[in-house]
Amino acid sequence: MKYAITHTTGYTYSEPASLSQNELFLSPRTTAYQSVLQSSLEILPQPQYRHRRTDFFGNTVDVFMIQEPHNELKVKATSIVQTSIQVQPDPSTTPPWESVAQRLLSYKHRDDFDALQFLFASPLITVSSQTAAFAKTSFTPGAPVLFAALDLMQRIYNEFSYDKTVSTIDTTVSQILEKRRGVCQDFAHLTISCLRALGLAARYVSGYLETIPAPGKPKLIGSDASHAWVSLFIPDFGWVDFDPTNNLVVGERHITLAWGRDYGDVAPVKGVVMGGGTHRLSVNVDVAVENIWTPARCMQNDSQPIKCRD
Amino acid sequence: MADREISSTTTVHRKENSLFSAVTWTDTYYNEAFSSPGQAREHWQQIVTTLETRGATALKKDDERARQMRHEDGATINPFDDPARRSTAWDLDPIPIIIDAPEWSALEKGLIQRAQLLEKILADVYGGQLLLRDGHLPVDLVFANPNYLYSCHKIRPPGNRFLPMYSADLYRGVDGRFRVLRDYAAYPAGLGYALENRIVMSRIFSELYHHTQTLRLATFFKAFHKALIQRASLGHENPGIVLLSPGPESYIYFEHALLSRYLGYPLVESQDLTVRNGKVFLKKLAGLEPVEAIFRHLSDLNCDPFALRRETASGVAGLIQVCRENNIEIINPIGSAFVDTPALSTTLPVLCKTLLGQDLLIDNHPAWWCGTDEGYHFVVNNLDQLTLSYAMEHKGIDDPPEIFLNRIMSAPRNYIGSAPLTPAVAPGWNQHGISNSHILLRVFVCATEEGYTVMPGGLAITAREAETLFYNSPTMQRSKDVWVLSDRPVEPFSLMKDFHSIDEFKRSNDLPSRVADNLLWLGRYLERTEGLVRLLRHIFGKLSGEDRPRDIPELSFLLKLLSVKNIIPTPPEDVTDTPLFSTLSTQLNNAILRRDGVESVNSLLGNVRRTARKVRDRLSLDSSRIINHLEDLAGSSFIDPLEFLDETLFALNAFSGLTLESMTRSLGWRFMDIGRRVERAINQTHLIRTSLPLVCCESRNTLETLLEISDSIMTYRARYRSAIQLAPVLDLLLVDESNPRSLAFQLSTINGHLEHLPRQHERPFAYQEERIALKMLTEIRLLELQPINCQEENNSNEALADFLGSTAKNLKEFSQQITGHYLTRVQTTPHFAMIRGKEKQ
Repeated sequence: MKYAITHTTGYTYSEPASLSQNELFLSPRTTAYQSVLQSSLEILPQPQYRHRRTDFFGNTVDVFMIQEPHNELKVKATSIVQTSIQVQPDPSTTPPWESVAQRLLSYKHRDDFDALQFLFASPLITVSSQTAAFAKTSFTPGAPVLFAALDLMQRIYNEFSYDKTVSTIDTTVSQILEKRRGVCQDFAHLTISCLRALGLAARYVSGYLETIPAPGKPKLIGSDASHAWVSLFIPDFGWVDFDPTNNLVVGERHITLAWGRDYGDVAPVKGVVMGGGTHRLSVNVDVAVENIWTPARCMQNDSQPIKCRD
Repeated sequence: MADREISSTTTVHRKENSLFSAVTWTDTYYNEAFSSPGQAREHWQQIVTTLETRGATALKKDDERARQMRHEDGATINPFDDPARRSTAWDLDPIPIIIDAPEWSALEKGLIQRAQLLEKILADVYGGQLLLRDGHLPVDLVFANPNYLYSCHKIRPPGNRFLPMYSADLYRGVDGRFRVLRDYAAYPAGLGYALENRIVMSRIFSELYHHTQTLRLATFFKAFHKALIQRASLGHENPGIVLLSPGPESYIYFEHALLSRYLGYPLVESQDLTVRNGKVFLKKLAGLEPVEAIFRHLSDLNCDPFALRRETASGVAGLIQVCRENNIEIINPIGSAFVDTPALSTTLPVLCKTLLGQDLLIDNHPAWWCGTDEGYHFVVNNLDQLTLSYAMEHKGIDDPPEIFLNRIMSAPRNYIGSAPLTPAVAPGWNQHGISNSHILLRVFVCATEEGYTVMPGGLAITAREAETLFYNSPTMQRSKDVWVLSDRPVEPFSLMKDFHSIDEFKRSNDLPSRVADNLLWLGRYLERTEGLVRLLRHIFGKLSGEDRPRDIPELSFLLKLLSVKNIIPTPPEDVTDTPLFSTLSTQLNNAILRRDGVESVNSLLGNVRRTARKVRDRLSLDSSRIINHLEDLAGSSFIDPLEFLDETLFALNAFSGLTLESMTRSLGWRFMDIGRRVERAINQTHLIRTSLPLVCCESRNTLETLLEISDSIMTYRARYRSAIQLAPVLDLLLVDESNPRSLAFQLSTINGHLEHLPRQHERPFAYQEERIALKMLTEIRLLELQPINCQEENNSNEALADFLGSTAKNLKEFSQQITGHYLTRVQTTPHFAMIRGKEKQ
């Protein structure tokens, strides 16, 4: 699929902000299943300082500073990407999860090195005996690792409800587990915590998901949103992405921006501002299909509502 | 426990009545000073003999002198917080530790090797990570380690110096060999205390010190400074180096101030620094000044709230971005606290072979990290013989064994077990005589162009019990100077001479905006407190006389002054009589004591204390003592309010007097005085505005009261020699520029100060605050007071009331303008987008 994405973030300050520093993870990654045809950033007012780098995880990061008083800040990221369906192994033929955990723990295989940084607790994802216990229901002894992971995803999808009112900046994994509700990055964090508690390597993926409007209704421009899902490492195969919020194995409609240990590593926009009083935030994401004749729009779960949008 | 082991009947010295005869002998620990009972080690003989000759009485005096000197230097922690206990970090024990030349040279080699090794490890984990890829370093030591900062990956510090400054804690085991207990890289805590100890010791034992060929510390600091200047290719004349401290909240703030003075690097806090265009600047009154190097005494995680930790306000937002741009040298680079990870040391013996092809010259303190299979099994099987602590941070575990066993099993990599600590003992002074205490040696190593160099000395950290040394708790530990003997004559190199030369060289007239801001407010709070105290004292004075409240005609005027400021409740309109004595006395006591947010003497004293704390390094020691005294007063329960107010007023006046006498007429002093003048002008305006409607229709006593609370009654009598009349009173209190209590005096002083503040515009009166100040001064100079009298229908009185009203408004505006111009106190707020619910819709 070919998508044109615009992601606009706007801030309006009650008092002039004198100094604003920001870090953006808004340039889509190039992967085996995604090529980036075009990507650009538009920042208003014009920043006095800009810097681009590749971070520890290989993401493109833009840093900018506005050093003059301003009442508004607008960041608009535009990109065109081509996605294709990810190759997935047959879940039931993947190796038993214990052997995967054992192999990663031994740190012996050089090919596994890039997965090792995703084995442990991270600033926003604790790993506890509670999440291990929750995971064990799916990860029965000898269960094939991807098979069990998809079962875990299914359970989280069924047992947790989508609720954007409960989630805050400080929501912890144990709170999600207790309240049984949250938004997409909460479900991603919980899933990752479960997988890491078992000794598996899992990373947090930030991106977008194309919205399919309800049958007979036109798609509203700007109705899309940032999204987040999980990627699991399977030795000798690689990474498999799945979306616990929507109970989906990641397909063509997922567009990958960046990945890291948790949300904190790859928040699309973050920053600090001096002054500014109180601020109002508006986020507007639009994921438009570039080539409307591509037939692959009607996929599985078409009848189900897609979450982490509206 | 340690005491029991030390106690035995043999003493170290056979001589009867000897100083050392009270010290017991033990084989359980190595003895630094004695090889066997009665036999001092060779390099200790000179000091043992000297101490014997001086005797207990002289030593007691030496100890008191040392205490006094340290106190005068300000080596007490948070004196404003803890006026009663005066507990200090690393209190000095005046008997030094002596180390001879061959032994020191072996230690030096070992420490240099360790610094080289650790620097290579840092360069790898923040660079190519080959040690991880090749399995030489366990991945969880990096990826599961909160000391490893992902944001610092790929940053190459200037000159590729990942570890410009390294320090370590060593102890000497029973076998007489030194071992490393801990490594430190983030910042060298104790460096300033080592310096202070040497300054004090070289004065107290000056003769002994100069006879023993003790190596000087100054060479080390010189080498450090020179290397920094070369590495960062800074100008020698005026290098932009600052010393970054967490501020007076730190319990070792004293050493930050000392090192700053000694090295000549301005002492700054995070909010003094700002990042622009990928570079760091110091916010000063005259504008932004470039900073090229930072000697930081701030932990890694507090360095950059933007890149590292969203919830903290401390740190310099964007600092790590500046490092990425290679526009700053930070000692040590952010992220180097990775070296402080306790579990890292367990990997060093093997890594030393891998990276340097050598064996470790100084062994580690035996420890087993549960992150490896062998370590885990050893710890679990020997729990009762090991000290368990966290593997990734210097922190002990207090939980009972059954709980922590579970915790080890669930996350082994987070725990480490260590053998019991058996540090050597050495004789120490205990206020009455000499007894043994345990010794830990904190040593400091810095990188120079010619490689690493070790400070010839250090901080000996001592405690009665060995366990106290296991954790970093300076207030429970004492310290000693470390004398490293040379086998050659020592170059006479005065520490103090150097101290002053750098100090004066670096002194500049400009100062950080934060300091100016705090001084301005200190001036305001002091004056505000003084005003309230004077008023209350006057009221209590009246009430304690023979008259009943209702027989004191000016009382309602006095109470109105308080109630207008909401310090006491406004009396209901319909009650014409003065309030009951008991109600009144409760209200007035409240005006002194209350701490519920309403302005009171106590709440104002609290503001004075908090503000003074923030500029502690700018105040003289005596001034700090008065602040301590004010604190004591505020905390005390008094019987007689009048006595309390007298004493408070006395202390406030003493503080003002001392500040005037001891502060140089620099910008800092000007800001403090501007604060004081603004506040006094506001207070005086308020006083006359409130009294104006009353002076005519009520008692003539109001005028006298007005003069009394303005502290101007003597002046009035001396000048006018007449009965108290309205026009002369107003003349004295408003327009007489020679009366330091008059409004005109305050305004004229403020105008004088403004001329001396740094400015970008050449044109006079280009700034708002200058124009307002000039306007106020001109208006008061042109004020006509002659027509004012108590005749009815007098327009002049109304005109005066208007004038006072507009002056009050102007003063407020002036205060805002000067803050806006020089002292922008803008709050930094984390912006946005960590808000998940919103960002993710």
